[in-house]
Amino acid sequence: MGIIEVSHLTKYYGKARGIVDVSFSEEEGEIFGFIGPNGAGKSTTIRLLLSLIHPTSGSAKVFGKDVTTHGPEIRREIGYLPSEVFYYEGMKVIDLLKYSASFYAGDHTKRLHELSEIMELELNRRISDLSYGNKKKVGIVQGLLHSPKLLFLDEPTSGLDPLMQRKFFDLIRAENARGVTVFFSSHILGEVQRLCTRVGIIREGKIAEISDIRTLQQNNYKKVGVTAAGVSPAAFDLPGVTNVQTENGTVRFFFKGDINAVLRKISGIQVTDVTIEEPTLEEIFMHYYE
Amino acid sequence: MNIFLRELRANLKSLLIWSAIIILLIIMAVAKYSAFAGDPEMLKMLDSMPPALLDALSMRAFNLTTISGFYGVMFIYFALMAAIAAAMWGSDIISKEERDKTVEFSLVLPISRSRVITAKALAALVNSILFVLVTWGVSLLAVRSYKPDQAFYNFLALEIQAMFVIELIFLAIGLLLGCAMKQYKRSGSTAVAIILTTYFMSIMAVMNEKLDFLKYLTPFKYFDAGELFRSGQLNGAYLALSAAIIVICVAGSYWIYNKRDLYI
Repeated sequence: MGIIEVSHLTKYYGKARGIVDVSFSEEEGEIFGFIGPNGAGKSTTIRLLLSLIHPTSGSAKVFGKDVTTHGPEIRREIGYLPSEVFYYEGMKVIDLLKYSASFYAGDHTKRLHELSEIMELELNRRISDLSYGNKKKVGIVQGLLHSPKLLFLDEPTSGLDPLMQRKFFDLIRAENARGVTVFFSSHILGEVQRLCTRVGIIREGKIAEISDIRTLQQNNYKKVGVTAAGVSPAAFDLPGVTNVQTENGTVRFFFKGDINAVLRKISGIQVTDVTIEEPTLEEIFMHYYE
Repeated sequence: MNIFLRELRANLKSLLIWSAIIILLIIMAVAKYSAFAGDPEMLKMLDSMPPALLDALSMRAFNLTTISGFYGVMFIYFALMAAIAAAMWGSDIISKEERDKTVEFSLVLPISRSRVITAKALAALVNSILFVLVTWGVSLLAVRSYKPDQAFYNFLALEIQAMFVIELIFLAIGLLLGCAMKQYKRSGSTAVAIILTTYFMSIMAVMNEKLDFLKYLTPFKYFDAGELFRSGQLNGAYLALSAAIIVICVAGSYWIYNKRDLYI
């Protein structure tokens, strides 16, 4: 039995599309990446699973219980970090966290302080005085302090500096090692690749692909740019090269396959600049079906 | 319980502001009364005013030179204040979570939406009760120097009861608007618009006999001060009507809020 089981879930906001016929499942202990561009339906899916909104059709189960009828029960074991964090502005951080903790059975004071220390959170400041990144840290502590069994992370790293991002990833990995299941939504491919075992790709409200992270990586494209005097696209006539463009003495193309083949070609040219980078998610999407 | 206490704390400032307003209103009103008190000249002047105007301000039913009469005329203003305060509390306490976008925190906590409404509605109710008690207490203090008789105290108690029922009606209407309105930012202003509309209906109902039926539509007319003064009790039929409105609004609030999507 999966921790999350989504079957033909559809949500329309009036006539506006939320998600259409989404089905997937997540097993216990997995870190499932949910990637897609903005507006693809990632947050809609999470909000449906948290019963903040109700499905137009289809159904979803969390811990084997239907989300529309067993919301409060399910949420006892859930931690949620929304993409944008909003709390009661007038409250102090510590009061907000204690308030949140009071809704969950058991004493969570120790964990609250542990987490605050890791995230370097100042407990005595007022929510309204916090920067975006600091609010996000409050969100992380609030989402984790009751030791939930399932974590929903919706674009969790936005607003965190790289150091905090690393601490946060370590924290999530440690939680996962304890057996916590993680549902990780993001539009940044890199962080999904770092953390997740399996990914679902959502595009325009529909699941485009669900695959193992390794499979996705093998299919991965590189974006190559070569700047050199008199360089011509013909120099990179290789299998796996697509989408070749030339501008201002720079040749750009996508490459899929053994990167050494490209490097050998480049080493034969007197170049002024070379870039090899990860394509953006949009670019992956564009090439995913070719 | 936590939600209830948090809401009480969060609404304390609003309660203090509304209390200050009503205290000021009472003090100003009673200070004005000192000009009317026991002055026969004033009565003559009032008699020369057009009856329709006096009706509109419900001044004909009362002898303004007595403290009871004066409080009878003032009642509608206290009731208006109470209605506006209660409607704002009722609508705001639900809709502010969506306005401030805190709903993604507060409704992901492991509690049902019904429990959220119950806790919040009770907090708003406590505010409403305190507001009525402040009005009562300050009135008692303010009129002390006029040494009113027992009849006045009885009438005041009756007025306060009526004010409380009106408050409950608009608290329930506000709650319903807060739970139901998609344009949650407008739930407060819609509530106030309803109050002002029903207030003017209560005036129209007196001024024009053809519009007499309006009295069933406006809670301000359910407990008309002149009627309270004459009968010495709250009208049972209107009490039942008030209870029906309150029950329907509250039940509707639970039903709609449980069913609908939260606006995020």
